[in-house]
Amino acid sequence: MIEDDDRIRLSLLLALEDEGYTARGVPTAEEGLAAQQTDPADTVLVDLMLPGIDGFECIRQMRRGDDVPIVVISARDDTHDIVAALEAGADDYLVKPVAVKELSARLRALRRRARPAAPPNPILAFGDLEIVPDAGEVRRGGVPVAVTRTEFRLLCELANHPGQVLSRQQLLQRVWEYDFGDERLVDVHVGRLRQKIETDSSAPRRLVTVRGMGYKLQR
Amino acid sequence: MRRAGLRMRVTAGFASGALALSTLMAGVSYQLTRTSLLAERERAAVRATYFDAAVVHGGLDTPDPDIGNILRSLDTGGTRRALLRRDGTWYARTADANITSAIPGLMQRQVEHGEPSMQRVRSDRHAALVVGVPLSQDTWFYEVHSLEELDQTLKLLALVLTAVAIMVAAGGATLGWYAARYATRPLRSVADAAQRIADGDLTARLDPTPDPDLTRLTTSFNDMVSQLSRRMEADRRFAADVSHELRSPLQTLAAAASVLARRTPQLDQRTATAAGLVTDEVARFQSLVNDLLELARSDQSADRGLVGIAGLARQACQAYHLPEDLIIADSDDEPWWVDHRRVRQILGNLLDNAIKYGDGPTAIRLLATGEDYVIEVEDHGPGVDPEDRDIIFDRFGRGRAARARGAGAGAGLGLAIVAQHASAHGGRVTVHDRSDGGARFRVELPRQAP
Repeated sequence: MIEDDDRIRLSLLLALEDEGYTARGVPTAEEGLAAQQTDPADTVLVDLMLPGIDGFECIRQMRRGDDVPIVVISARDDTHDIVAALEAGADDYLVKPVAVKELSARLRALRRRARPAAPPNPILAFGDLEIVPDAGEVRRGGVPVAVTRTEFRLLCELANHPGQVLSRQQLLQRVWEYDFGDERLVDVHVGRLRQKIETDSSAPRRLVTVRGMGYKLQR
Repeated sequence: MRRAGLRMRVTAGFASGALALSTLMAGVSYQLTRTSLLAERERAAVRATYFDAAVVHGGLDTPDPDIGNILRSLDTGGTRRALLRRDGTWYARTADANITSAIPGLMQRQVEHGEPSMQRVRSDRHAALVVGVPLSQDTWFYEVHSLEELDQTLKLLALVLTAVAIMVAAGGATLGWYAARYATRPLRSVADAAQRIADGDLTARLDPTPDPDLTRLTTSFNDMVSQLSRRMEADRRFAADVSHELRSPLQTLAAAASVLARRTPQLDQRTATAAGLVTDEVARFQSLVNDLLELARSDQSADRGLVGIAGLARQACQAYHLPEDLIIADSDDEPWWVDHRRVRQILGNLLDNAIKYGDGPTAIRLLATGEDYVIEVEDHGPGVDPEDRDIIFDRFGRGRAARARGAGAGAGLGLAIVAQHASAHGGRVTVHDRSDGGARFRVELPRQAP
């Protein structure tokens, strides 16, 4: 947990340990990035307003070589901040004060995301795009594409229903396990995914938006 | 009685002024024309009478004259009649019994004293002019000139002048109407701007004007609005800052409270009760701060997108553990062009309100009319007192049902948030009585082209 407020860090660590997690905390992004190199965590919680390197930059640097799930816990709730953090590579965004039960539910959902449901087909092919759910791999024209676990789970959900429209709320339920969630999560992740799997992400041809309905992946 | 509007009063003033002026002018012209025409007519009558008198006088000089013939030889036309009185006997061109009665006695005596005389009379209800000339000691000549033609001319003149006066008055009224409209145009633009401000557009200002009479109004108005919006912005920022600053300590409290809550079974009775109070109040505090932050965002307009409203309502029902068959939706499942987050909160807060104060919702109606998207939530509770109907939509405003619940009730922000979300869409929320008891909350969100 990267959080500069000592009291918040201490109380959240206590609460998370109560929930059965092993948790460590550091006050700065620099220390967090170093710790992730030496002794990587399964999941990273990060605040946005940090001394030195700020949360956005921290997410970006951590994302560079790592698909570790990153959850933002911030007091900032402007659309601008939320979208910027998600675009930097965060998997989920929680606004302070977050209830411990809620945080725990989000972390469980993230861990499940690392193990997608057993698919009916070993390889899902959409033209030159290949998805191997068991191996957690995405290939485009035979070349592996690096995607985060959340992106992979999102892609699998869409690939398991080829040509079928999934609404943002359906995707929120299936990928993030939110009953009643923020649709910006889906939009930003779809945008990031397009940059990786589309030839021209501003004119998508595989992962298309169906106006007023949601998204679909087409062959 | 309601006082007439400024414009009406200005118009009436102009009209009555114009009417008074034109009446005076018409009256004066009528009098002058009448006097001058009458004088002219009198002169002509006198001339004609003297001429005829000379003819008659010449005829009478002959021995044993036939007076009837002499009179008949006069070329009098149809407009005048000649009479002669000689030795106490009346002679006329025609046998007209009444004609002598047209000549007033006073005038006869004057003429019989040898004085020529002229007088206006009314004969057979027609205006006439009688001119009398003494021809000798015992012979007097009279002529009765009809003034009917002149009368008709004057009547026509009076008619024309009256018509002109009325037209001038109407013209005055029209002028007044336009003048008032022109003069009150700045007032209308002030009213428009004030309305826009009341509707939440704090950027509305009056356009600067080169008119020195209006500069003061424009400047003061714009200054007032600027100050108002500065103050509102400061208030909003204060609420946002306060709530924001509360978030960090609240996060610590929430996490620490959950640690306490987990250990409640190991605590003794008193400590466990205290820990329970802390946990509950932290949760309430948390939702209060979230609501305050939501309200502090009042300046943001609705961020519309296509929203599957029926699905959203179903999710809201699930979240509050309500059966989904409460939802009564339009047959066509057309998505709504609204702000997803705001509409979600509208549904949630209305359901929450119905559960807390209305014994639970009995129906959730979703309609798309020609102009509006309409959300209605009905309940079976005690309804809302008429005097509470505005209060409940105010911040921290709580109606009777909420006051009765005392400290256990919400802070009174939920419906204020509903009202704010409705107005961010340019819409509104109202509460109505249902015929069989209970309340119906109705949110109208105007449609907008995507």
